[in-house]
Amino acid sequence: MHIDRLERYWIIAVTAMLGVFMAALFVSVVVFRVQLPSPVGRVDPRALAETEFATPGLSDLGAGRYDMHIVAKMWNFDLGQGKGEPAEVRLPRGAQVTFFVTSEDVTHGFFIEGHDANLMLLPGQIASTTVRFNRPGTYHIICHEYCGPAHANMVAAIIVE
Amino acid sequence: MQAAQSLPQRRPAPLSFPSLAMLASERTLIGAHIITALAALSIGILMGPFQTFRRSPAFMEALPDWKIPVFTYYYQALTIHGVINALFFTTFFIVGFSYFVTQRSLERPMYSRGLAWGAFGMMFVGLSLVLYAIASNQANVLYTFYPSLVAHPTFYIGLVLLVVGTWVVTANIFLTYAQWRADHPGERVPLAVFATLANYVMWCVATIGVAVEVLFMLLPLSLGWITHTDPQMARALFWFFGHPLVYFWLIPAYISWYTMLPRQTGSQLFSDPLARVAFLMLMIFSIPVGAHHLFSDPGVSAAMKGVHTILTFVVAVPSFLTAFNIGAVLERAGRSRGARGPLGWLVRQDWGNPVVAAQLAGMILFIAGGFSGLIHASLTLNIALHNTAWVPGHFHMTLAGAITLTYIAIAYWILPLIRGRALFSRPIALAQIYTWLVGMLIFGHGMGAAGILGIPRRADLAGSGYISPEAATWLNSAAIAGVILLISSVLLFINIIGTLFFSRAPVNEDGPITTGSSDGSPLWFERWGLWLGLMLFLALVAWGPLFAETLDLVNGFNVPGFRPESPVPLQ
Repeated sequence: MHIDRLERYWIIAVTAMLGVFMAALFVSVVVFRVQLPSPVGRVDPRALAETEFATPGLSDLGAGRYDMHIVAKMWNFDLGQGKGEPAEVRLPRGAQVTFFVTSEDVTHGFFIEGHDANLMLLPGQIASTTVRFNRPGTYHIICHEYCGPAHANMVAAIIVE
Repeated sequence: MQAAQSLPQRRPAPLSFPSLAMLASERTLIGAHIITALAALSIGILMGPFQTFRRSPAFMEALPDWKIPVFTYYYQALTIHGVINALFFTTFFIVGFSYFVTQRSLERPMYSRGLAWGAFGMMFVGLSLVLYAIASNQANVLYTFYPSLVAHPTFYIGLVLLVVGTWVVTANIFLTYAQWRADHPGERVPLAVFATLANYVMWCVATIGVAVEVLFMLLPLSLGWITHTDPQMARALFWFFGHPLVYFWLIPAYISWYTMLPRQTGSQLFSDPLARVAFLMLMIFSIPVGAHHLFSDPGVSAAMKGVHTILTFVVAVPSFLTAFNIGAVLERAGRSRGARGPLGWLVRQDWGNPVVAAQLAGMILFIAGGFSGLIHASLTLNIALHNTAWVPGHFHMTLAGAITLTYIAIAYWILPLIRGRALFSRPIALAQIYTWLVGMLIFGHGMGAAGILGIPRRADLAGSGYISPEAATWLNSAAIAGVILLISSVLLFINIIGTLFFSRAPVNEDGPITTGSSDGSPLWFERWGLWLGLMLFLALVAWGPLFAETLDLVNGFNVPGFRPESPVPLQ
């Protein structure tokens, strides 16, 4: 099979370029420690009341570290807020929060503005990611997977003080 | 040429006897597919611009109560747009085009007209059922139909009929190929048919995933035969299918670029063997990459995500091979038109010929679309982009850009052949193509920029409280693109209807089909059994562990179904 000389150079150049892209990815994972969502466990969505998701909300682990359990449901995020209260949580600047999130019903999404937090929330699966909040401000948690008529209003807020 | 042409007639091709049956089928069978595809597109396409209006803060401020016409509910319109454009328009068009390419290139009719019409019937009933389900508001589940959302059974039955119809099409094409092969031992099959065969091999492997998902989870759940499913496993099954699906759309466009554009531009294909290598790579490596749609999924390990990322970069290679090969075709075309200097050929193209211009415009969009795809296929960058507006920005430059514009190029020559009349209006066609190009560039850029700022896709943003002023600018620019694309769509359908019903001029060009064998490509490229084995092996390696991760042997399926309108589980 004949391959033209210029075409051979092109193939080598393209392969090298893709190799560089892949190396950049490798660096982002190994050096910059960008985390990908990975399995942390399953949960029965019909019986969340018997699990760690019975009482969603923030728990202070000390030294600026927190765990936060959230239940996504049609069509809001349950951060442990009381009835009629807004879905928001206040955090001190520099807080490092590990989120544990699941869905009670259908597929939802979990995206925090301005931070590397992007999870699919599937009923039956616990999704987890760790985020450090260094800059003060209000950051929305946005549901980014279609979940029904009020999907676009499914939002919560993180207020970093 | 005949001097007196009282009736517009197809120029008599050099026909041997079987070709008569073949030409007749172009008017009926292939015509039915192409016209059904375009009719479906006319419904689906209009819903696109209307969504950009609902998502534009400036537009909704001006007209706060504005609703999408016909399919008034946003997610209903979105489901129509996705399902009808991406699944039905594409499939009908591809099947009709595949028949045309197969019959003309192999110079024989399809193996069985009965099978072909049977498949068409199935797909048509499928389209009708799906339209019924969505129009009656019983299937607002979008084109990815992830459980635990549940639609009306007719939605899933319609999809099953579409897919089973394409399996029958595959059988028909391969039986035609087998007949040709028996008559032509030791010959290489024409490139266009080679690519078509690769496409259907890939399609049959890919559809196993969605068939299992629909037949064993969604349809029984919808019918009430089972009560629970597993959304994570369903997503894995869907994306086993979902990525090869995009190559199923792309390969017919590549067939046009590789085998038709050289003739249309008065050029020549640069390398037939590497074209075949590109098609084989698309076929083989489309399957083990689908988990790049699952980077944010909680039930898939980072290791499997890494494996699929690496293979995703491999599947970019055939598109780079295409860039070189087609670039060489265009260089030769440009130089023959008098281009000077190293890059003059980029400008000296046949921009005034709709059939060529639509493909060139598609290629321009494909450069932006392809690189945007490489960006969000990079698993760490994907964290910033997954499910944001960036993603539809990307696939409107690839699917709705390169692929659809190439299909439009095909429509601009195949409709006249089907109808026996020339294209209604070349100026309208050119206006349509360039408005489409400009509209899609503005749309793609606006959506990409809004996505980087965190605006989600698939959301009826009218009334949502999280749009920053900066993001609003980009969403408004996408709505301006929506207006441009709406105009472009109207121009497209003026030309289609004009060609079908009002054109009086005779057709003076035949289909841009190359027949006969080509030199230089090894015959073992056509060992389809070998490739199938390799694909299944790669599928096992890349998907086996991933499916195992989604299995829950202790609890089994434990997620009930939900209608999108209600948080109360079914039954």
